[in-house]
Amino acid sequence: MEAPPVTVMPVTGGTINMMEYLLQGSVLDQALDSLLHRLRGLCDSMEPETFTDHELVYLLKGQQGNPFILRARRSLSHPNTPWHLRYLGQPEVGDKSRHALVRNCVDVATSHSLPEFLNEMGFRMDHEFVATGHMFRKGAMKIVVSKLSRILVPGNTENTERLSLSYLVELSVLAPAGQDTVSEDMRSFAEQLKPLIHLEKIDPSKQRH
Amino acid sequence: FQQREEKQLEASVESLISRVAHVKNALHSFIYKLENEYERLTWPSVLDNFALLSGQLNTINKLLRNEKTPSFRNQVIIPLLLSPDRDEDLAKLTEQRVPVFSHEIVPDYLRTKPDPEVEEQEKQLSTEALSCGLNQCCLRILFNPDVEQARQNKPFFNPTDTNALVAAVAFGKGLSKCRPPGPVAQGHPGQGQMMSGGPTLQQVTIGGGSGQQAGLGGPVAPQQQGQPGKMPSSIKTNIKSASGSMHPYNR
Repeated sequence: MEAPPVTVMPVTGGTINMMEYLLQGSVLDQALDSLLHRLRGLCDSMEPETFTDHELVYLLKGQQGNPFILRARRSLSHPNTPWHLRYLGQPEVGDKSRHALVRNCVDVATSHSLPEFLNEMGFRMDHEFVATGHMFRKGAMKIVVSKLSRILVPGNTENTERLSLSYLVELSVLAPAGQDTVSEDMRSFAEQLKPLIHLEKIDPSKQRH
Repeated sequence: FQQREEKQLEASVESLISRVAHVKNALHSFIYKLENEYERLTWPSVLDNFALLSGQLNTINKLLRNEKTPSFRNQVIIPLLLSPDRDEDLAKLTEQRVPVFSHEIVPDYLRTKPDPEVEEQEKQLSTEALSCGLNQCCLRILFNPDVEQARQNKPFFNPTDTNALVAAVAFGKGLSKCRPPGPVAQGHPGQGQMMSGGPTLQQVTIGGGSGQQAGLGGPVAPQQQGQPGKMPSSIKTNIKSASGSMHPYNR
Protein backbone atom coordinates (compact mmCIF):
# COMPACT_ATOMS: atom_id res chain seq x y z
CA MET A 1 0.00 0.00 0.00
CA GLU A 2 1.34 3.40 -0.88
CA ALA A 3 1.68 6.06 1.74
CA PRO A 4 -0.68 8.95 1.21
CA PRO A 5 0.97 12.05 -0.20
CA VAL A 6 2.31 14.36 2.44
CA THR A 7 2.29 18.07 2.02
CA VAL A 8 5.84 19.26 2.26
CA MET A 9 5.08 22.95 2.66
CA PRO A 10 3.16 24.10 5.74
CA VAL A 11 -0.33 25.20 4.90
CA THR A 12 -0.55 28.94 4.96
CA GLY A 13 -3.68 30.93 5.57
CA GLY A 14 -4.31 31.21 1.87
CA THR A 15 -3.26 34.85 1.68
CA ILE A 16 -0.72 36.12 -0.78
CA ASN A 17 2.51 37.36 0.71
CA MET A 18 2.12 41.12 0.45
CA MET A 19 5.03 43.50 0.40
CA GLU A 20 5.06 47.17 1.19
CA TYR A 21 7.13 49.33 -1.15
CA LEU A 22 8.08 52.56 0.56
CA LEU A 23 9.70 55.92 -0.17
CA GLN A 24 9.93 58.60 2.48
CA GLY A 25 10.71 62.29 2.73
CA SER A 26 9.59 65.33 4.64
CA VAL A 27 8.32 68.83 4.03
CA LEU A 28 8.70 71.92 6.21
CA ASP A 29 5.55 73.55 7.54
CA GLN A 30 5.94 76.62 5.36
CA ALA A 31 6.02 74.53 2.21
CA LEU A 32 3.14 72.24 3.17
CA ASP A 33 0.52 74.13 1.17
CA SER A 34 2.59 74.02 -2.00
CA LEU A 35 3.03 70.28 -1.59
CA LEU A 36 -0.68 69.67 -0.95
CA HIS A 37 -1.52 71.78 -3.98
CA ARG A 38 0.78 69.80 -6.19
CA LEU A 39 -0.45 66.48 -4.84
CA ARG A 40 -4.02 67.54 -5.47
CA GLY A 41 -3.07 68.17 -9.07
CA LEU A 42 -1.21 64.91 -9.52
CA CYS A 43 -3.43 62.47 -7.64
CA ASP A 44 -6.85 60.93 -8.09
CA SER A 45 -9.99 62.31 -6.51
CA MET A 46 -10.91 65.89 -5.87
CA GLU A 47 -11.24 65.65 -2.12
CA PRO A 48 -8.13 64.53 -0.29
CA GLU A 49 -8.76 62.69 2.94
CA THR A 50 -7.65 64.01 6.29
CA PHE A 51 -7.01 61.74 9.21
CA THR A 52 -6.02 61.75 12.86
CA ASP A 53 -4.67 58.43 14.07
CA HIS A 54 -3.20 57.09 17.26
CA GLU A 55 -0.55 54.43 16.77
CA LEU A 56 0.75 52.17 19.51
CA VAL A 57 3.79 50.02 18.94
CA TYR A 58 3.96 46.73 20.86
CA LEU A 59 6.98 44.54 21.47
CA LEU A 60 7.17 40.89 22.35
CA LYS A 61 10.57 40.10 23.80
CA GLY A 62 11.69 36.57 23.28
CA GLN A 63 14.59 34.72 24.87
CA GLN A 64 17.05 35.96 22.35
CA GLY A 65 17.09 37.89 19.14
CA ASN A 66 15.15 40.93 18.13
CA PRO A 67 11.79 41.57 19.70
CA PHE A 68 8.72 40.95 17.59
CA ILE A 69 6.99 44.22 16.72
CA LEU A 70 3.33 44.80 16.05
CA ARG A 71 1.70 48.14 15.34
CA ALA A 72 -1.82 48.93 16.47
CA ARG A 73 -3.53 51.93 14.97
CA ARG A 74 -6.89 53.54 15.54
CA SER A 75 -8.61 56.59 14.17
CA LEU A 76 -9.21 59.45 16.58
CA SER A 77 -11.38 61.28 14.08
CA HIS A 78 -13.60 58.23 13.46
CA PRO A 79 -13.62 56.46 16.81
CA ASN A 80 -16.07 53.76 15.81
CA THR A 81 -14.07 52.33 12.95
CA PRO A 82 -12.11 49.14 13.61
CA TRP A 83 -8.55 49.18 14.86
CA HIS A 84 -5.78 48.13 12.51
CA LEU A 85 -3.02 45.73 13.34
CA ARG A 86 0.04 45.73 11.17
CA TYR A 87 3.17 43.66 10.97
CA LEU A 88 6.16 45.00 9.04
CA GLY A 89 9.09 42.74 8.30
CA GLN A 90 12.71 43.64 7.95
CA PRO A 91 13.53 45.56 4.77
CA GLU A 92 14.63 43.23 2.01
CA VAL A 93 18.26 43.58 1.23
CA GLY A 94 19.81 42.58 -2.01
CA ASP A 95 18.98 44.55 -5.07
CA LYS A 96 20.60 47.90 -4.34
CA SER A 97 19.35 49.29 -7.59
CA ARG A 98 15.76 48.83 -6.52
CA HIS A 99 14.36 52.26 -5.89
CA ALA A 100 12.08 51.65 -2.96
CA LEU A 101 12.35 50.04 0.46
CA VAL A 102 10.60 46.66 0.31
CA ARG A 103 9.35 44.77 3.33
CA ASN A 104 6.82 42.13 4.16
CA CYS A 105 3.53 43.59 5.34
CA VAL A 106 0.51 42.01 6.97
CA ASP A 107 -2.46 44.23 7.71
CA VAL A 108 -5.67 43.24 9.48
CA ALA A 109 -8.63 45.04 10.97
CA THR A 110 -9.47 44.20 14.55
CA SER A 111 -12.00 44.99 17.24
CA HIS A 112 -11.49 47.63 19.91
CA SER A 113 -10.19 45.13 22.42
CA LEU A 114 -6.86 44.97 20.60
CA PRO A 115 -4.65 46.62 23.27
CA GLU A 116 -5.97 44.31 25.99
CA PHE A 117 -5.56 41.31 23.73
CA LEU A 118 -1.97 42.19 22.95
CA ASN A 119 -1.21 42.65 26.64
CA GLU A 120 -2.72 39.24 27.38
CA MET A 121 -0.54 37.72 24.70
CA GLY A 122 2.51 39.13 26.44
CA PHE A 123 3.19 42.17 24.28
CA ARG A 124 4.20 45.39 25.96
CA MET A 125 3.64 48.81 24.53
CA ASP A 126 6.96 50.34 23.64
CA HIS A 127 5.92 53.74 22.38
CA GLU A 128 2.97 55.54 20.89
CA PHE A 129 2.32 58.66 18.88
CA VAL A 130 -0.41 60.62 17.21
CA ALA A 131 -0.29 61.18 13.46
CA THR A 132 -2.54 63.66 11.73
CA GLY A 133 -2.56 64.82 8.16
CA HIS A 134 -3.66 64.15 4.61
CA MET A 135 -3.86 61.09 2.43
CA PHE A 136 -3.87 60.94 -1.35
CA ARG A 137 -4.13 58.08 -3.80
CA LYS A 138 -2.90 57.62 -7.32
CA GLY A 139 -3.79 54.23 -8.69
CA ALA A 140 -2.17 51.72 -6.38
CA MET A 141 0.04 54.36 -4.79
CA LYS A 142 -0.80 55.93 -1.48
CA ILE A 143 0.72 59.22 -0.41
CA VAL A 144 0.45 60.19 3.25
CA VAL A 145 1.53 63.56 4.63
CA SER A 146 1.57 63.40 8.41
CA LYS A 147 2.36 65.58 11.36
CA LEU A 148 3.72 63.43 14.19
CA SER A 149 3.26 64.27 17.84
CA ARG A 150 4.50 62.58 20.96
CA ILE A 151 2.03 61.72 23.69
CA LEU A 152 3.06 63.32 26.95
CA VAL A 153 0.86 61.26 29.22
CA PRO A 154 0.24 57.67 28.10
CA GLY A 155 -3.32 57.16 27.00
CA ASN A 156 -4.01 60.89 26.78
CA THR A 157 -4.20 61.74 23.13
CA GLU A 158 -5.35 65.30 23.76
CA ASN A 159 -2.08 66.33 25.36
CA THR A 160 0.51 66.05 22.64
CA GLU A 161 3.61 67.82 21.50
CA ARG A 162 4.89 68.00 17.95
CA LEU A 163 8.02 66.07 17.16
CA SER A 164 9.35 68.35 14.49
CA LEU A 165 8.65 71.39 12.37
CA SER A 166 8.23 69.15 9.34
CA TYR A 167 5.61 66.77 8.06
CA LEU A 168 6.56 63.22 7.17
CA VAL A 169 5.71 62.28 3.59
CA GLU A 170 5.38 58.63 2.67
CA LEU A 171 4.71 57.10 -0.72
CA SER A 172 3.75 53.44 -0.48
CA VAL A 173 2.32 50.60 -2.49
CA LEU A 174 1.04 47.26 -1.22
CA ALA A 175 1.71 44.61 -3.81
CA PRO A 176 2.52 40.90 -4.02
CA ALA A 177 6.17 40.02 -3.88
CA GLY A 178 8.22 40.13 -7.04
CA GLN A 179 6.59 43.05 -8.84
CA ASP A 180 9.51 45.23 -9.69
CA THR A 181 7.67 47.64 -11.97
CA VAL A 182 6.10 49.03 -8.81
CA SER A 183 9.29 50.73 -7.68
CA GLU A 184 9.80 52.20 -11.15
CA ASP A 185 6.35 53.77 -11.08
CA MET A 186 7.01 55.12 -7.61
CA ARG A 187 10.28 56.62 -8.71
CA SER A 188 8.74 58.49 -11.65
CA PHE A 189 6.00 59.82 -9.38
CA ALA A 190 8.62 60.95 -6.87
CA GLU A 191 10.38 62.82 -9.70
CA GLN A 192 7.29 64.94 -10.19
CA LEU A 193 7.46 66.11 -6.60
CA LYS A 194 11.01 67.43 -6.91
CA PRO A 195 12.42 69.89 -5.99
CA LEU A 196 9.67 70.44 -3.45
CA ILE A 197 10.48 67.23 -1.62
CA HIS A 198 12.88 64.38 -2.13
CA LEU A 199 11.32 60.98 -1.61
CA GLU A 200 14.01 58.42 -0.97
CA LYS A 201 14.60 54.91 0.17
CA ILE A 202 15.68 55.41 3.78
CA ASP A 203 17.06 52.48 5.71
CA PRO A 204 15.63 52.88 9.22
CA SER A 205 18.45 50.96 10.87
CA LYS A 206 20.88 53.64 9.71
CA GLN A 207 18.95 56.22 11.74
CA ARG A 208 19.63 54.55 15.06
CA HIS A 209 22.19 56.58 16.94
CA PHE B 1 30.19 85.82 -52.64
CA GLN B 2 27.31 88.20 -52.21
CA GLN B 3 24.95 85.70 -53.80
CA ARG B 4 25.96 83.04 -51.30
CA GLU B 5 25.36 85.45 -48.45
CA GLU B 6 21.98 86.33 -49.82
CA LYS B 7 21.07 82.68 -50.11
CA GLN B 8 22.20 82.04 -46.54
CA LEU B 9 20.18 84.98 -45.28
CA GLU B 10 17.08 83.79 -47.06
CA ALA B 11 17.48 80.25 -45.79
CA SER B 12 18.03 81.27 -42.17
CA VAL B 13 15.13 83.72 -42.23
CA GLU B 14 12.92 80.95 -43.61
CA SER B 15 13.86 78.51 -40.89
CA LEU B 16 13.52 81.23 -38.25
CA ILE B 17 10.02 81.96 -39.48
CA SER B 18 9.07 78.31 -39.31
CA ARG B 19 10.49 77.91 -35.78
CA VAL B 20 8.68 80.98 -34.57
CA ALA B 21 5.50 79.60 -36.14
CA HIS B 22 5.98 76.46 -34.04
CA VAL B 23 6.25 78.53 -30.86
CA LYS B 24 3.22 80.52 -31.86
CA ASN B 25 1.18 77.36 -32.40
CA ALA B 26 2.29 75.85 -29.12
CA LEU B 27 1.38 79.03 -27.25
CA HIS B 28 -1.93 79.18 -29.05
CA SER B 29 -2.97 75.66 -28.09
CA PHE B 30 -1.69 76.12 -24.54
CA ILE B 31 -3.70 79.31 -24.05
CA TYR B 32 -6.73 77.59 -25.50
CA LYS B 33 -6.33 74.74 -23.03
CA LEU B 34 -5.93 77.11 -20.11
CA GLU B 35 -8.98 79.11 -21.06
CA ASN B 36 -11.32 76.33 -22.09
CA GLU B 37 -10.19 73.06 -20.58
CA TYR B 38 -8.92 74.21 -17.20
CA GLU B 39 -11.26 71.88 -15.33
CA ARG B 40 -9.69 68.82 -16.87
CA LEU B 41 -6.18 70.17 -17.05
CA THR B 42 -3.62 68.28 -14.97
CA TRP B 43 -0.35 69.54 -13.62
CA PRO B 44 1.76 67.10 -15.66
CA SER B 45 0.06 68.37 -18.81
CA VAL B 46 0.88 71.97 -17.89
CA LEU B 47 4.48 70.98 -17.23
CA ASP B 48 4.60 69.29 -20.63
CA ASN B 49 3.43 72.45 -22.33
CA PHE B 50 6.07 74.53 -20.62
CA ALA B 51 8.69 71.96 -21.50
CA LEU B 52 7.63 72.12 -25.13
CA LEU B 53 7.89 75.91 -25.24
CA SER B 54 11.24 75.77 -23.51
CA GLY B 55 12.53 73.27 -26.07
CA GLN B 56 11.31 75.37 -28.96
CA LEU B 57 12.93 78.53 -27.61
CA ASN B 58 16.13 76.57 -27.18
CA THR B 59 16.00 75.51 -30.82
CA ILE B 60 15.58 79.10 -31.91
CA ASN B 61 18.55 80.14 -29.80
CA LYS B 62 20.65 77.41 -31.37
CA LEU B 63 19.60 78.51 -34.81
CA LEU B 64 20.59 82.09 -34.13
CA ARG B 65 23.93 81.01 -32.75
CA ASN B 66 24.65 78.75 -35.69
CA GLU B 67 27.69 79.85 -37.66
CA LYS B 68 25.82 79.42 -40.92
CA THR B 69 23.40 82.11 -39.79
CA PRO B 70 24.47 85.54 -40.98
CA SER B 71 24.42 88.33 -38.49
CA PHE B 72 20.97 89.86 -38.59
CA ARG B 73 22.29 93.02 -37.00
CA ASN B 74 23.84 93.97 -40.33
CA GLN B 75 20.48 93.97 -42.04
CA VAL B 76 18.33 97.09 -42.05
CA ILE B 77 14.60 97.19 -42.62
CA ILE B 78 13.23 100.46 -43.92
CA PRO B 79 9.52 100.93 -44.33
CA LEU B 80 8.85 102.24 -47.81
CA LEU B 81 5.22 103.12 -47.47
CA LEU B 82 3.15 103.82 -44.39
CA SER B 83 -0.57 104.20 -44.68
CA PRO B 84 -3.45 104.43 -42.22
CA ASP B 85 -5.59 102.38 -44.57
CA ARG B 86 -6.30 98.75 -44.05
CA ASP B 87 -4.12 96.42 -46.08
CA GLU B 88 -5.96 93.18 -46.85
CA ASP B 89 -2.89 91.23 -47.91
CA LEU B 90 -1.03 92.14 -44.76
CA ALA B 91 -4.08 91.29 -42.67
CA LYS B 92 -4.33 87.86 -44.25
CA LEU B 93 -0.59 87.24 -43.90
CA THR B 94 -0.67 88.04 -40.19
CA GLU B 95 -3.97 86.26 -39.46
CA GLN B 96 -5.73 89.56 -38.74
CA ARG B 97 -3.20 90.59 -36.12
CA VAL B 98 -1.71 93.45 -38.16
CA PRO B 99 -4.42 94.89 -40.41
CA VAL B 100 -2.77 98.28 -40.97
CA PHE B 101 0.85 99.17 -41.69
CA SER B 102 0.81 102.62 -40.10
CA HIS B 103 2.93 105.03 -38.03
CA GLU B 104 1.58 103.45 -34.83
CA ILE B 105 2.78 99.93 -35.37
CA VAL B 106 6.16 100.68 -36.93
CA PRO B 107 8.01 101.62 -33.69
CA ASP B 108 7.07 98.26 -32.17
CA TYR B 109 7.33 95.87 -35.08
CA LEU B 110 10.48 97.29 -36.65
CA ARG B 111 12.24 97.98 -33.34
CA THR B 112 15.94 97.15 -33.25
CA LYS B 113 16.92 98.65 -29.93
CA PRO B 114 15.32 98.27 -26.50
CA ASP B 115 13.30 101.09 -24.88
CA PRO B 116 15.48 103.98 -23.66
CA GLU B 117 14.70 103.18 -20.02
CA VAL B 118 15.52 99.53 -20.54
CA GLU B 119 18.71 100.47 -22.33
CA GLU B 120 19.71 102.68 -19.40
CA GLN B 121 19.08 99.88 -16.92
CA GLU B 122 21.05 97.42 -18.98
CA LYS B 123 23.99 99.83 -19.25
CA GLN B 124 23.92 100.31 -15.49
CA LEU B 125 23.90 96.58 -14.84
CA SER B 126 26.78 95.97 -17.26
CA THR B 127 28.99 98.61 -15.66
CA GLU B 128 28.14 97.25 -12.21
CA ALA B 129 28.97 93.76 -13.33
CA LEU B 130 32.30 94.78 -14.77
CA SER B 131 33.30 96.90 -11.80
CA CYS B 132 33.11 94.36 -8.99
CA GLY B 133 35.24 91.27 -8.60
CA LEU B 134 34.00 87.67 -8.33
CA ASN B 135 33.36 87.84 -4.59
CA GLN B 136 31.33 90.99 -4.86
CA CYS B 137 29.34 89.55 -7.72
CA CYS B 138 28.39 86.47 -5.75
CA LEU B 139 27.33 88.54 -2.76
CA ARG B 140 25.22 90.74 -4.96
CA ILE B 141 23.50 87.78 -6.56
CA LEU B 142 22.73 86.21 -3.22
CA PHE B 143 21.41 89.30 -1.54
CA ASN B 144 19.73 91.05 -4.42
CA PRO B 145 16.39 92.44 -3.20
CA ASP B 146 14.91 92.06 -6.68
CA VAL B 147 15.41 88.35 -6.78
CA GLU B 148 12.34 86.46 -5.62
CA GLN B 149 12.46 85.64 -1.92
CA ALA B 150 11.05 82.21 -2.46
CA ARG B 151 13.91 81.09 -4.60
CA GLN B 152 16.57 82.31 -2.21
CA ASN B 153 16.08 81.40 1.37
CA LYS B 154 12.99 79.27 1.55
CA PRO B 155 14.01 75.66 1.54
CA PHE B 156 11.18 73.19 1.18
CA PHE B 157 12.46 70.38 3.30
CA ASN B 158 15.09 69.63 5.89
CA PRO B 159 16.92 66.29 5.58
CA THR B 160 17.64 66.21 9.31
CA ASP B 161 13.93 66.44 9.98
CA THR B 162 13.31 63.63 7.51
CA ASN B 163 15.72 61.36 9.34
CA ALA B 164 14.27 62.27 12.72
CA LEU B 165 10.72 61.56 11.57
CA VAL B 166 11.68 58.26 9.93
CA ALA B 167 13.47 57.20 13.11
CA ALA B 168 10.43 58.13 15.20
CA VAL B 169 8.07 56.07 13.08
CA ALA B 170 10.44 53.14 12.63
CA PHE B 171 11.47 52.57 16.23
CA GLY B 172 10.15 55.36 18.40
CA LYS B 173 13.24 57.51 18.58
CA GLY B 174 12.31 60.68 20.43
CA LEU B 175 9.09 59.21 21.80
CA SER B 176 8.42 58.26 25.41
CA LYS B 177 9.42 54.70 26.02
CA CYS B 178 7.58 52.48 28.46
CA ARG B 179 9.88 49.84 29.93
CA PRO B 180 8.89 46.47 31.44
CA PRO B 181 9.18 45.47 35.17
CA GLY B 182 11.58 47.19 37.52
CA PRO B 183 11.38 49.40 40.61
CA VAL B 184 8.63 51.97 40.55
CA ALA B 185 9.81 55.53 40.05
CA GLN B 186 7.71 58.60 39.66
CA GLY B 187 8.20 62.31 39.76
CA HIS B 188 5.57 64.97 39.74
CA PRO B 189 5.28 68.69 40.14
CA GLY B 190 2.86 70.11 42.70
CA GLN B 191 -0.38 69.14 41.10
CA GLY B 192 0.29 65.48 40.44
CA GLN B 193 -2.43 63.09 41.54
CA MET B 194 -2.18 59.42 42.08
CA MET B 195 -4.72 56.67 42.15
CA SER B 196 -4.00 53.15 43.27
CA GLY B 197 -6.63 50.74 42.13
CA GLY B 198 -5.22 47.54 43.48
CA PRO B 199 -2.00 45.73 42.68
CA THR B 200 -2.56 45.56 38.97
CA LEU B 201 -3.58 49.04 38.05
CA GLN B 202 -1.74 52.27 38.62
CA GLN B 203 -2.21 55.52 36.95
CA VAL B 204 -0.44 58.79 37.47
CA THR B 205 -1.50 62.05 35.97
CA ILE B 206 0.72 65.04 35.79
CA GLY B 207 -0.70 68.56 36.11
CA GLY B 208 -1.37 70.79 33.17
CA GLY B 209 0.67 73.56 31.71
CA SER B 210 2.76 71.06 29.84
CA GLY B 211 2.07 72.62 26.50
CA GLN B 212 4.76 75.25 26.77
CA GLN B 213 7.64 73.42 28.34
CA ALA B 214 9.39 70.99 26.17
CA GLY B 215 10.95 69.41 29.21
CA LEU B 216 7.81 68.49 31.05
CA GLY B 217 6.83 64.90 31.09
CA GLY B 218 8.26 62.82 33.78
CA PRO B 219 7.98 59.10 34.16
CA VAL B 220 4.48 57.68 34.20
CA ALA B 221 3.29 54.15 34.75
CA PRO B 222 1.25 52.59 31.96
CA GLN B 223 -1.96 50.69 32.59
CA GLN B 224 -1.51 47.01 32.90
CA GLN B 225 -4.54 44.87 33.16
CA GLY B 226 -4.79 41.16 33.73
CA GLN B 227 -1.28 40.95 35.07
CA PRO B 228 -1.56 40.11 38.74
CA GLY B 229 1.64 40.42 40.62
CA LYS B 230 3.42 42.52 38.05
CA MET B 231 3.78 46.11 39.11
CA PRO B 232 4.29 48.95 36.73
CA SER B 233 7.89 49.91 36.67
CA SER B 234 10.35 52.67 36.14
CA ILE B 235 9.97 54.20 32.77
CA LYS B 236 12.84 55.84 31.05
CA THR B 237 11.86 58.86 29.06
CA ASN B 238 13.84 61.32 27.03
CA ILE B 239 12.00 64.14 28.71
CA LYS B 240 13.17 65.50 32.03
CA SER B 241 10.72 66.14 34.82
CA ALA B 242 10.01 69.83 35.23
CA SER B 243 10.29 69.88 39.00
CA GLY B 244 13.75 68.40 38.97
CA SER B 245 13.05 66.38 42.10
CA MET B 246 12.23 62.72 41.73
CA HIS B 247 10.52 60.70 44.41
CA PRO B 248 11.69 57.11 44.07
CA TYR B 249 8.60 55.57 45.62
CA ASN B 250 5.06 56.69 45.38
CA ARG B 251 3.94 55.63 48.82
